[in-house]
Amino acid sequence: MAMTATAEGMRRKRAFVGARGGSFGYLLPALVLVVIFFIVPVLMLLMRSVLEPEPGLQNYKALLGSTTYLRIFLNTFLVAGVVTIISIVIGYPVAWLLAIMPEKWSRLVLAIIILSMWTNLLTRTYAWMVLLQRTGVINKTLMGLGLIDQPLPLVNNLVGVTIGMTYIMLPFVILPLMGVIRAIDPAILRAAALCGATSMQCFTRVLLPLSLPGIAAGALMVFVMSLGYFVTPALLGGTSNMMLAELVAQFVQSLVNWGMGGAAAFVLLVVTLTLYAVQLRYFNPNKAR
Amino acid sequence: MLLDFDKLGVLRGFLVGLTMLVCLFLILPIVFIAALSFGSSQWLIFPPPSWTFKWYEELFADSRWFYSALTSLKIAAIVTVFSVIIGFLAALGLNRGRFLGRDILRALFLTPMILPVVVLAVALYAVFLRLGLAGTTFAFVIAHLLIALPFSIISIGNALEGFDRSIEDAAILCGANPWEARLRVTVPAISHGIFGAAVFSFLASWDEVVLAIFMASPTLQTLPVKIWSTLRQDLTPVIAAASTLLIAFTILLMVLAALFRKGKKS
Repeated sequence: MAMTATAEGMRRKRAFVGARGGSFGYLLPALVLVVIFFIVPVLMLLMRSVLEPEPGLQNYKALLGSTTYLRIFLNTFLVAGVVTIISIVIGYPVAWLLAIMPEKWSRLVLAIIILSMWTNLLTRTYAWMVLLQRTGVINKTLMGLGLIDQPLPLVNNLVGVTIGMTYIMLPFVILPLMGVIRAIDPAILRAAALCGATSMQCFTRVLLPLSLPGIAAGALMVFVMSLGYFVTPALLGGTSNMMLAELVAQFVQSLVNWGMGGAAAFVLLVVTLTLYAVQLRYFNPNKAR
Repeated sequence: MLLDFDKLGVLRGFLVGLTMLVCLFLILPIVFIAALSFGSSQWLIFPPPSWTFKWYEELFADSRWFYSALTSLKIAAIVTVFSVIIGFLAALGLNRGRFLGRDILRALFLTPMILPVVVLAVALYAVFLRLGLAGTTFAFVIAHLLIALPFSIISIGNALEGFDRSIEDAAILCGANPWEARLRVTVPAISHGIFGAAVFSFLASWDEVVLAIFMASPTLQTLPVKIWSTLRQDLTPVIAAASTLLIAFTILLMVLAALFRKGKKS
């Protein structure tokens, strides 16, 4: 009885504090920061895309009407798509093994994945610039094995970008997928095997469908991250193979054309937020449906 | 039996082989850079003709590297402090508050993490140019705080989810005022979340390149900006030396995090 009374008192006190805006007050510093230095600047940038050099949609017309820029859009989607597919195809078996292998081994593999993930982004990109160059280890090894006569052009093109980006994205696929596969009840597969399913059938009709939501969520995340990547494409892609994020930076930094820069940023923003909304709506792991 | 390691059959060889290849793919570039930083070849030829410390000497002889590392450290430290404090308050508000639009607010706070960072960089650059703040420490801290804050909110928010609030209530009923209870009961109980928030906030700022490129000025550069501008000119092994030190630093952080987790368990 006394307990109920104090609990009741507590609740009232909380309601009182809540009414004074107590818990909302905690959010104020973050809210002020995000509104002043995130929402307002992004909106201002978008305004410039329709106001500069004069009001109208000419920036968007120029951006979507020229083959030069369309090529950049195409490059961006192509690289993001290929990186996503390779990451999933390679990452899925690794995540699968990680989910079921003895802990002492999985710890070692996880340590390697986390080391590569936590290593400075520029360090990793620099490593690939060195490895992939004409006189780099990869070309030398391939020539030493007699597989090629001429060094392959592996850098300053989209091949280099794809390799470098796949390297960066793999951990983002493996880690969540490992969790998804770990959550699958092995009894379901045992049941399938008992009922006479072959290994192939177990995989295509039980394991794969059960991990599909995780695969879709991971793929979408990698795709969205790849679309907006700046550093790796800029360093491994060279000047003639630009991607969308570089275009935004180039308009602003080298060309000082804020109208076009804003327009390109807006296109990138819309694509990203749309895909993010799809992710939240259909693949949200927090919302069990 | 596809989910039993001991009964995988032929498939086990395939999965183990592929995983080993992926591990090599992930670790070899890091090992190569560390090895080449001690190699004598200016053109980063592997295996190097001989071994040397000259790239490290060159690195330490150029004070710009040292000052850019110091700038990085200073900015990351300030960002970490603000990110943890503001993130703690925001996570508390999101966790405790019962008001309309809470989910929208949470999504809003996390958006800077999802957004292509180049969009944020360009937008902030425009504003700071107009305010005359481009190239200042303030601009750097604000920019990095925006991308560090989501990590704090997630990490501390998760810890708060697992914390039984009645313990805090008990402290208040025993006579503590609400803030005393929060600081002396809640904060110690969610210390792992706060530690995670601090590590991720620090790394978010320390490693950040894109915002930094736009916020930097000739006199104020973080380490990533220094690496970036050097890389745009040539692939000098001095960068390999700097990178190797950064890798050592990463490993140190990982060991610290592992020790912390172990300490938490026992």
